[in-house]
Amino acid sequence: MTPEIERLIGAASGTEAACDAVEPGAVRRYVQAYMDDSPMFHAPDDARRARYGGPVAPPLFPMNMFRRPFGTPDPFAEHAGNAHFDGIVGSTAQGLPPLPLPKGTGLLNAGTEVEVYRYARHGETVTARSRYASITEKESSKGPMLLVVIETEYRTGAGELLLRVKKTQIRR
Amino acid sequence: MVFESVNVGDALPPLAKGPLTSAHLMRWSAAMENWHKIHYDKPFAMEHDKLPGILVNGTLKQQFIMQFLRDWAGDDGWVWKVSFQFRAMNVEGETLRMWGKVAAKREAPAYGLVDLELGIVNDQDKESTPGTAVVALPYRNGKPVPYPFVPPA
Repeated sequence: MTPEIERLIGAASGTEAACDAVEPGAVRRYVQAYMDDSPMFHAPDDARRARYGGPVAPPLFPMNMFRRPFGTPDPFAEHAGNAHFDGIVGSTAQGLPPLPLPKGTGLLNAGTEVEVYRYARHGETVTARSRYASITEKESSKGPMLLVVIETEYRTGAGELLLRVKKTQIRR
Repeated sequence: MVFESVNVGDALPPLAKGPLTSAHLMRWSAAMENWHKIHYDKPFAMEHDKLPGILVNGTLKQQFIMQFLRDWAGDDGWVWKVSFQFRAMNVEGETLRMWGKVAAKREAPAYGLVDLELGIVNDQDKESTPGTAVVALPYRNGKPVPYPFVPPA
């Protein structure tokens, strides 16, 4: 733990908007892919679930709405011809300033906690804002490591809380 | 499902998914726009990354757990909190079985809270995704759990 890292505890990202609203086609592909055919995802007159106010997306869908917008460079292009390219594109830092760690420091996902408050309805827009909730140093059998907890809140464009997610990363 | 009908130690009705083929994993990767090759490119996964096969996405296992809990909680309940740990890999060809057990019950003014232990086992009964959850259930003759969900004070 360095003073530069300690200063990042509590640091927050800006509020990012997902590039698309909750699209019925995207919801369809998503629920078909994990094999869940509940009417809540498509039936406009599902009386048993009227309190949702119409067809909704699955609870964790907002986490996967932050995709590459129109008019941005193709991230595959820079890896053309690289046989070692693993296909991972995009950031793992959720819009946060990266931790100043030595090059080659590993990253392991130690776990995820979610709190669900509401489903996103078809047509709604979604935003996300993240912060470093905690960064603590621990000793492990393989030497010192950092436990980094990133908390992200997903809200509708109108500001209603949908989902709060805490991801714990091990950096060593 | 109502709070009074649940007892500590009860097992939730299981949910099984699979066998999960490469087509299932490709379909999920495409729906997610997740292009990490270990989930669909077998030579890359096995020869380059030295994995035992193409891996079932952690995000896919999360959806299975959320569906499993929602099916149990019913339309008047609410799956409030869930924690997941990815302890072991699952690979193409496996059938995954979601399990859950009631660990504790707590009463809040507007609804009851049920603490669950949960996980995912494969065909060999190997646990890969242990976790916990808190589900809010209505009281018998009570109101449905509020939506959007309002946590207990």
